[in-house]
Amino acid sequence: MNTLNVQLFDLTTFLFGTATGSYIAALYGKKEFLARIGTWICAAAAIVSTAAIGIRWIESYRMGIGRIPVTNLYESLVFFAWSINLFYLFVERKYGSRSFGAFVVPIAFFTMVFAFTIESGIQPLVPALQSYWLHAHVITCFAGYAAFAVSAGVAVMYLLKERRGGDKVTGGVLALFPDTKVLDDLVYRAIAWGFPLLTAGIITGAAWANFAWGTYWSWDPKETWSLIVWLVYAAFLHARITRGWHGRRAAVLSIAGFAATIFCYLGVNLVLSGLHSYGG
Amino acid sequence: MTTEKSAPSPMDRVWNFFISVKVAIFTLIILAVASIFGTIVEQNQPLEKYHEIYEDWAFALMDRINLFDMYHSWWFLALLVLFTVNLTCCTIDRFPKVLKVVRNPRTKLDEGLEKSVSLSDRWKKKGTVSEWAPRYAEALASAFSKPRVTEGDGEVHLYAETGVASRFGVYVTHLSIIIIFIGAIVGNVAGFKGYVNIPEGESVSSVAVRGGSRMQDLGFTLRCNSFRVDTYPNGQPKAYVSDLSVIEGGREVLRKKDVVVNDPLQYKGIWFYQSSYGDAGGTTARVAARRSDGTPAGSLSLPPNEPFFIEGYGSIRGVNYDRNFQGNGPALQVVVEKPGKPAENFWIVQGRPDLDRQRKDSMVFSFGGLNTKMFTGLQVARDPGVNIVWVGCTLMVIGIIMAFFLSHQRVWLRLAQGPDGRLAVVLAGSANRNRLAFEKKFEKIQTGVKAVAS
Repeated sequence: MNTLNVQLFDLTTFLFGTATGSYIAALYGKKEFLARIGTWICAAAAIVSTAAIGIRWIESYRMGIGRIPVTNLYESLVFFAWSINLFYLFVERKYGSRSFGAFVVPIAFFTMVFAFTIESGIQPLVPALQSYWLHAHVITCFAGYAAFAVSAGVAVMYLLKERRGGDKVTGGVLALFPDTKVLDDLVYRAIAWGFPLLTAGIITGAAWANFAWGTYWSWDPKETWSLIVWLVYAAFLHARITRGWHGRRAAVLSIAGFAATIFCYLGVNLVLSGLHSYGG
Repeated sequence: MTTEKSAPSPMDRVWNFFISVKVAIFTLIILAVASIFGTIVEQNQPLEKYHEIYEDWAFALMDRINLFDMYHSWWFLALLVLFTVNLTCCTIDRFPKVLKVVRNPRTKLDEGLEKSVSLSDRWKKKGTVSEWAPRYAEALASAFSKPRVTEGDGEVHLYAETGVASRFGVYVTHLSIIIIFIGAIVGNVAGFKGYVNIPEGESVSSVAVRGGSRMQDLGFTLRCNSFRVDTYPNGQPKAYVSDLSVIEGGREVLRKKDVVVNDPLQYKGIWFYQSSYGDAGGTTARVAARRSDGTPAGSLSLPPNEPFFIEGYGSIRGVNYDRNFQGNGPALQVVVEKPGKPAENFWIVQGRPDLDRQRKDSMVFSFGGLNTKMFTGLQVARDPGVNIVWVGCTLMVIGIIMAFFLSHQRVWLRLAQGPDGRLAVVLAGSANRNRLAFEKKFEKIQTGVKAVAS
């Protein structure tokens, strides 16, 4: 029998699945109330998953190994989904459009489904992870990843809408999307949030590595991939700000950046080997 | 011959190449793509290992282009140099222009500027320029920021701005990258990275430099007093703990009993990081000796079969060990030899310190268990550039925050007497970042400024 926190995370997975369904149904059925339900479900998922993280934290103290619950693959996945959901709710509120939901919430849902399939127990911290840098490093990295996820989801919306003639579309699902100008702006603005967070994530990681191993940069695959992600988004920002890259090219670069992000997060652990092999 | 004037000189061409943002974007993407190879091909492994994995032709090719240590290869360094030169040239080219614009802002809203800004509003009212100028200046100050006033040709121009620092964010960020590179170079040139294994009870005064056969002298001696592994209740390792002493001029000058991962020891700029451990070979038995009156006479560490001499008494040596001696748990068989007497051979049992009293000897021995001699593995680093790197990192975060979260917002207001005798007011605004948010702010400024007139 799973502990309470895992049951709550399973409930969160179910909620994200339901919300994804509502958002997609809202687009195809053109029923605003379905999207509204999606928002309420996402808000409920935010509360349930926040509670689950808190309870998991407390449970770890009860087991005598108290530590922040972001230290293995399972915990990092649920924290990633939690960040995406919060970032999404913020964007939905700020931009007043629920059509984003069908493109962003599924990322949180599939992340949780993946988490559902792997070991969920609370393990004590290995010596390498016992550091206060852990908190700053993990939180900044995943908040950055979440921003990139939102950007990529919106970039997909942009490409779909632009392919069918942009803002001239009348009727159909695409007419419910915000203007291409708004979508294009959001692709950039999400990255403008993610990039500073990723930068802080890399720097806190370097500081931690220096404290643990005496070297702030060792070209370990995880480090190198985080640099690759950083370079891709740096290229995006330069192209955008100084060369006026908008629209399709910017959207494609955002999706490429997110693909690199996912590889940095999961691919490196699953495919390559290195210092981060404990799966965080 | 005729186009000599308009053709750029070779120097100009080189310069134009390096100040190009296109080149910057290209370099960023090439660096990103090139970096991937070193994550697929494991770096700095023994050559035999690569021979096993790759066909001969592939091995030869990869070795030729330094793919086994690509991040230190000449071509990767060349890419980094291109990146740095490009970054520097872009900054040298653009920074003075930005500085000029910031120092001498366009305080007058002329017609050209009026057309180029995205947000503007016009209205008319009764009255004169001199009558309304101070009131509008005050209104703009409270709705946005205190304006500069420029007068001329019967017109009054108000100019107000916030978030000027936003213009410098990108240069602070570029500078920070150069500082980080300088720090990295200083560390590489003036520092070293090494490792050392120290068996318990032993000392070292030099360490092996990583990736070479050179030894680095520490300038002092480091002793490992002991090493242990703490475990969680489930048996998982909780902490690797080294007890280290620094010895200089024959004296212990520093001792840190709990050097663990994430908590290194530092002395004279050299850092020692807990990194690995292992079995140093050799097991010893811990034996405590007491006189029959109970006063301690020393705790002995006995290697197998080697006699230990106690002054004025004799010698003791451990000859045999039993995990469970006659059902009493771990025990050590010892041989005691005193001058001119036959050797005594008996067992002492762990956890039963008074058992040996039954021998009615002047010395009572008790067994404290076996010690496996461990070694602690330490990473050793001296990096005089690391603080420069942290300065760079801090600047980078500050620069990026300036660049993305500040916005240089400018608002102009022009008062002129129209041909109809009424006062013509023009309000205009622009922002270099987050224009959607500024649109909303501009609306508020509009209402704030207009409220003066009503």
